[in-house]
Amino acid sequence: MIQAVPPRLPVLHRRARLYLETVSQIHEPVTVGEAVALLDSLGEQAAPLAGATWVMREAARKSHYVSLRRLQTLRAIERGVDEVRVGALATHDEIGGIEPGTGPLGALAEAARRSAFPAVRSVATLGGNIAAPFPEADLLPALLAASATLELALPSGPVSIDIGAERPAGALIVAARVPAPPGRQAWFERVTVRRGAEYSIVSVAVSVDLEDATVAAARVAVGAVQDAPCRVPAAERQLEGRSLDRAAGEDAGRAAARSLNARDGLDAPAWYRLEVLPALVARAVTRLAQQWKGDR
Amino acid sequence: MTYAFRVNGEEVELEADGLRPLVDVLREDLGLMGTKAGCFEGRCGACTVIVDDRPVVSCLYPLALASGCDVRTVEGLAAADGTLNPLQEAILDTGGVQCGISTPGVLMALTALLERNPSPSEDEIRAALAGNVCRCTGYQKIVDAVLAL
Repeated sequence: MIQAVPPRLPVLHRRARLYLETVSQIHEPVTVGEAVALLDSLGEQAAPLAGATWVMREAARKSHYVSLRRLQTLRAIERGVDEVRVGALATHDEIGGIEPGTGPLGALAEAARRSAFPAVRSVATLGGNIAAPFPEADLLPALLAASATLELALPSGPVSIDIGAERPAGALIVAARVPAPPGRQAWFERVTVRRGAEYSIVSVAVSVDLEDATVAAARVAVGAVQDAPCRVPAAERQLEGRSLDRAAGEDAGRAAARSLNARDGLDAPAWYRLEVLPALVARAVTRLAQQWKGDR
Repeated sequence: MTYAFRVNGEEVELEADGLRPLVDVLREDLGLMGTKAGCFEGRCGACTVIVDDRPVVSCLYPLALASGCDVRTVEGLAAADGTLNPLQEAILDTGGVQCGISTPGVLMALTALLERNPSPSEDEIRAALAGNVCRCTGYQKIVDAVLAL
């Protein structure tokens, strides 16, 4: 047994100091129902705790956290007919292994593989990426482009909502159901300041339903450009009815850039995000086109 | 609340705020100073440790999540008599250690990689180190060390 030594004080780092200033109570429910009831009764004073990579960086602590550690059923990734159900506690590492290529889950898996770095991907969860309020969340554009459905648990019972819809207060994210019909292909691209381990300056997810070489339906979502990731219908219209090639991707990218209001940030000014966006959309579309040709 | 877990194979039990960063508990409560606290933002990788065979940045890993887990730190790599393991020797031999601040995190990130993939390619090594910032070596010597194993 390792003996605890007396703490050396002062602990100088501001993050380390936080624990001296706020002691939070951690609850460890063993069922989803119990977790939802706790979140409901504690209200604003509480938040869920999953991989914790977001909570640990917050400037202010809640007085209560409802740890989801014991709810391991929420970690499952289940493949159904034409659909994959990804549990809210599935980590980026686990999601990255769902689909190696550009299949229906290709954008989601690639977003998970490109996000952050191994020691964060090993713990950061799907649910955290959806719930954390940051524009650069990499999984969200992929989920939006996939037209995923979110399963939520509420005190009144389970509900399902569209990934783009507003979540009711107090809802616990249980899983995302991602459609995976035949003929669907999806891919994700991002640009960062350095090559890896950074937040996206722009991220793009493109999902298409192909009938032979023609795009029957397209879904394009963009992250990091506006305050929250969003679908871009103007870009989707540029792809639909056309053959899948780089020119169509460039047109879609330019349409996306025209229809978004970019944000300024320390990592990149607004104009830069819009300047690189068309190339990223074109890159994702080209990747899908290459895969389609390779599959013939 | 009381939390029990293992560090380098030894049982640990302590009463503390469950949201304390694991790096802080390792260093301040357990006296294990090998793990370095760099940015406390999950951006530099200096505090990387292994929890249940997964690399984690211990500045963003709260004590509450370590409960019941196997934690491994750089102190657990060498043999009990102080003999360094082959990875540690290789990094010394190739000049992959300079100031040393990033080294414990680099060693743990690479240990996690090698346990999953004993013969990684250069690209796989670099991908495994994507979250470990080193301003001295330029990374090449570290990559050379792993390729030389």
